[in-house]
Amino acid sequence: MKPALSVIFFTVSSGAGLGLLVWLLIASLMADHIRMDGATFYKGVVIAALMITAGLLSSTLHLANRKNAIFSLVRVKTSWLSREGLLALILYPLAALHLAALHFGWPHITPFTLWLLVADAIAILYCTGMIYACLRTIPRWNTWMTPAKYVLFGLMSGSVLLPAALSLRPAEVGPIGKPMVAIVLLAVGVVFYIAYLLKHPRAQHTINDALGFKRGNVRLLDVGHSHGTFLTNEFGFVLAREKARMLRWLAIVFGFIVPMLLCYFTQWFWSASFICIAGLLVERWLFFAEAEHVVRLYHGQQRV
Amino acid sequence: MRLGLAIDLDTCVGCHACAVACKEWNGQSLMGGAPDYDAWGKAPSGAWYNRIRHYEIEGDPTYSPYRCGSSSDASEHQPLSKTVNVPMSCMHCEEAHCVTVCPTGASYKRAEDGIVLVDPSRCMGCNYCSWACPYGARELDEDVGVMKKCTLCVDRIYDEQLAVEDRQPACVLACPTHARHFGDYDDPQSKVSLLAESRGKQSMLDDLGYKPTNAYLSPRKPVEIKAELPIRAGLSDKAKAFVNRLIQL
Repeated sequence: MKPALSVIFFTVSSGAGLGLLVWLLIASLMADHIRMDGATFYKGVVIAALMITAGLLSSTLHLANRKNAIFSLVRVKTSWLSREGLLALILYPLAALHLAALHFGWPHITPFTLWLLVADAIAILYCTGMIYACLRTIPRWNTWMTPAKYVLFGLMSGSVLLPAALSLRPAEVGPIGKPMVAIVLLAVGVVFYIAYLLKHPRAQHTINDALGFKRGNVRLLDVGHSHGTFLTNEFGFVLAREKARMLRWLAIVFGFIVPMLLCYFTQWFWSASFICIAGLLVERWLFFAEAEHVVRLYHGQQRV
Repeated sequence: MRLGLAIDLDTCVGCHACAVACKEWNGQSLMGGAPDYDAWGKAPSGAWYNRIRHYEIEGDPTYSPYRCGSSSDASEHQPLSKTVNVPMSCMHCEEAHCVTVCPTGASYKRAEDGIVLVDPSRCMGCNYCSWACPYGARELDEDVGVMKKCTLCVDRIYDEQLAVEDRQPACVLACPTHARHFGDYDDPQSKVSLLAESRGKQSMLDDLGYKPTNAYLSPRKPVEIKAELPIRAGLSDKAKAFVNRLIQL
């Protein structure tokens, strides 16, 4: 698949923003314990909102006909893309209601809005994953691991951003303790990512299945066009094996290992966040670049 | 009704006339619009609703040379090497996942005849439906930013101003070897149903569960050649055998 930068940025940025929102809300339940004051909470919410909104805006960049994007919420019954869009739009009034309840002091509704927000944020991450996981035409994505990955990596990058947001609190409060949630989630994340790399579905269809000539060698004689087409442009992306291997190591080291070490041994939470997000951008680029669509069989590839 | 095409892999010569006729008809039609990009330049490209690809099928040398099989053969042997031309357009699948994934409702499958269409006034050009299509039937029209696909010439087949024999998709009318047939698969007596029944059809990624409507008719078996000679040979047989021996020298 062609790795579209707008979609890669959207999934990583919105994912981290939603994760940060979830952890900020949960942290606000124990604000006294972790010494998070109101101003710091609001600063964190602004960061999360900026990341989510920037991602959502970026996701519209790959649309060829943006004026019809208004219709994209009407097929909630069948389309995961529609579901994701609707849940993302619900997030804003819900967040506004929660902040209003905090500001005006309506303690009887804050627990509801808080947990609804947490559920909505996780549901958006799940929907983003299911957009890709529901495609039977791309075997590599068509697995439960895809939505699990989107939810886990979103919550993980958000948990690294949480201590960074907390570090915005007044200096006299003192240093932040070890962000154990971030460290544990980064460890779970790296184990999951390596398991994904080893266990994702692969090579399920052959060119024989594609054409129905079950026995014997089938090979492409002529593809019928002299230059690139929409199909070769969209699905024909080829990634060199050496490059893929190097990028996978980059993703593992910068997405997980380095942020984990920074969180454990230092207080450089902003650096940890940026490095984690950079690593996840590489991971997400690979997610698209390595996925193979079955239409490649008709263009002469032997197995997908 | 379940309208669709039957495409004969035996008689298709891969001339691309169907694709050209498609482009000619749909280039300006109401439902269509298939632009070319850089048509006379160094990298000509464009949106096509129908693309023809050519494949080599390598035979099985251990199989009897006197019988030619295909996927309709019970043993699925393909003994003879051959070139197969495969025109591909929208299969108008029964389980059209491209319609399911569409977030705007622009992609739809008509209940009355099963034709899958795109409503250009709702499509936002997200390409998601093209990702869901295993057959590469959908291509983006970059000029207007809308997904385009085979309409089964929906603006021809119901046009009562045309003669009855002309109410068929442009590709079917253009095919010089009559390798393309159009009809209703829900009618067991229609031409396409009978052809698919008698010739057998290729299964193309059937395990994905899309249930494509179009049928690709399997290559026929050639007539079996009898190897043995008649037991009591007459004078004419002897003369033929003599001539054959001369030729073989």
